Amino acid sequence: MRAPVLRALGLLTAWGRGAGALPVDALTAAEGRGVLSMGRPSYEGDRFRRVPRECVLGIAAVDAMLEDARAGRAEIAGERTALLYASAVGYAASNRIFIERGNAGAYFPYTAPASVPAEVAIEFGLRGPYGIFIGGPPATLQAIWWAATLLEARQCDRALVLAVEIFEECADLFAVGARLTGHPLVEAAGAVWLEPGEGTLALESHRGGARPDPGGIRQRLGETFACEPLAVWDLWRGGGAGGSLCLGGGWRGETVRLLWTGAAARVEASTS
Amino acid sequence: MRRSERIAIVAAGVVTPIGRGVDAFWSSLVTGTSGISPIERFPVSDLRVRRGGEIKKIPRIKDWGRVPECRATRLLCSAADELCSEAGSRPLPGNPDRVAVVLGTALGGVEEGEKALAGKRLQRLRGALYDSPTQNLARWLGARGPAITVSTACASGATAIGVGADLLRQGRADAVVAGGYDILCRFVMRGFDALRSLTREEIRPFDRRRSGLLLGEAAALVLLRRETDAGTRRLGSLLGHGSASDGWHIAAPEPDGRGLERSIRTAMEEAGIEPRDVDFVSAHGTATPLNDRIETAVLKRVLGPRALAIPVNSIKPALGHTMGAAAVLEGIMCLLASRHGQIPPTLNLEEPDPDCDLDYVPGGARAARPTISLSTSLGFGGCNATLVLEGGTG
Repeated sequence: MRAPVLRALGLLTAWGRGAGALPVDALTAAEGRGVLSMGRPSYEGDRFRRVPRECVLGIAAVDAMLEDARAGRAEIAGERTALLYASAVGYAASNRIFIERGNAGAYFPYTAPASVPAEVAIEFGLRGPYGIFIGGPPATLQAIWWAATLLEARQCDRALVLAVEIFEECADLFAVGARLTGHPLVEAAGAVWLEPGEGTLALESHRGGARPDPGGIRQRLGETFACEPLAVWDLWRGGGAGGSLCLGGGWRGETVRLLWTGAAARVEASTS
Repeated sequence: MRRSERIAIVAAGVVTPIGRGVDAFWSSLVTGTSGISPIERFPVSDLRVRRGGEIKKIPRIKDWGRVPECRATRLLCSAADELCSEAGSRPLPGNPDRVAVVLGTALGGVEEGEKALAGKRLQRLRGALYDSPTQNLARWLGARGPAITVSTACASGATAIGVGADLLRQGRADAVVAGGYDILCRFVMRGFDALRSLTREEIRPFDRRRSGLLLGEAAALVLLRRETDAGTRRLGSLLGHGSASDGWHIAAPEPDGRGLERSIRTAMEEAGIEPRDVDFVSAHGTATPLNDRIETAVLKRVLGPRALAIPVNSIKPALGHTMGAAAVLEGIMCLLASRHGQIPPTLNLEEPDPDCDLDYVPGGARAARPTISLSTSLGFGGCNATLVLEGGTG
């Protein structure tokens, strides 16, 4: 398959903006906290009053990506931009609120994973091909793979892959999982802008074996589930961005790898 | 000119409110059987609407004890049992590392989350993740290839089939079990009830008295293979798939249906077909005032005069809106219409809306043998997806 090229990447984590903000050791930097929250980005306007936090974070990630590209919103608006979204648990907070509040107050459509890319599509006027993948790092890698198929089929001129994970509202529920992983849960939102490239892309998957930890990323970043591959990508380009690129990740016994060869992931801008 | 390799749909398996198994599903559709009934499985007395397409008893399969308690998983395994029988065996023939599972759902295992939070049985929370039923089904099938969950709201089933087809086209799998599911639970009933999307009357797509939808539950699976690997017996083929975002509103379709139009045009272009090639349309047809008018207008825009000459139906009055399963059930219905030479009717359509002026097959089943069909889907958040299907030889 023809590989997409990276035009821009926006990464926001509870550590700060971009891979450059990551600590050397997440566990030490967390100072005993099991969950590190990003809070709620501030966007003005009545429309945002009822928009859940995970949706606003998705919008902020795309704005960070646009800043990285030094591009305006008009450059991605319209029918020729695909939007692919990935998340493992980004919907859990809204679902919990809806379940526990009874019939009062909660706004049901926002409880589905579809709400995050929907709000992003509305905000930026994205009207092209569309997909939502659920799971950890493999979901993001599958979304990147599908973006490549859409680009290769010329169903779009550019594809945005977005991932958002939040934990604060369900910190008590996630506590057991956090202890099991040995890493703090770190909220994150990331977006990449992909365009048709020259190299080749291969998707590999297999079951069994330990969950991969590419470059010891979780020691630096903490646990970010679907956002992990985007952080790895940001670190890779910050490190010189030469040669081939391999993004990998595991979730629930499945390991997925995306391997770029040839003119791989050309970097046109960097926030790192 | 066709832009994509066609993908064979080799077998199917379904569990629905109008019967378990493809044959029972089909005979109920053509005889106009309704699966709508009072909901009995969970409390609904506080809700405005208390009916839906509830499956009263999930048919047990041979190793039922090994299937997790999760209702969504049980529906899926029951549907997969039929699919495997049709395909010849479980595990499915071939290298298990090359068998993928791609499922669409609007709700995933959310009922497990409801139960966990209500009873504080937090160990069940893992089952509440939206990809849990996919992982459970992959395990039950012995499939060790990619296990992918997509969740484009009520277009999820169509997205799953599209992603599954691309896995085959890209050589990432040799067989794909693709499909969709969702169950009725308090979570979704409360949500739609609060939105006032549910009707207290009959579901009446394209009727001037239509007042909304009712929900249903189902699981529907198809086995996809590359044409060269599929043999001669098959339900049919997937010729094309298209998706598009409205970028308009979180819970309402774009009033001109431009997103739906783009998804149809993309799917037709991928399939390499023209309006004159389309014999039948399975509409999303939810019976909400806006949806049915928009779909009608879009079909006329895309198909031109052909839209007025071909049958268009909605099977949601029989099943309720089965969310993640809807597009898959509707796609299977298109292929069965080709096989049996009949188009199931749109139930409860008695007083046509002047704004909805296509041939919606009111009354009873229609004798017709469509070759190429379109199946359209729309979902919350502005998700639109279209499948182009061709009837088979099996």
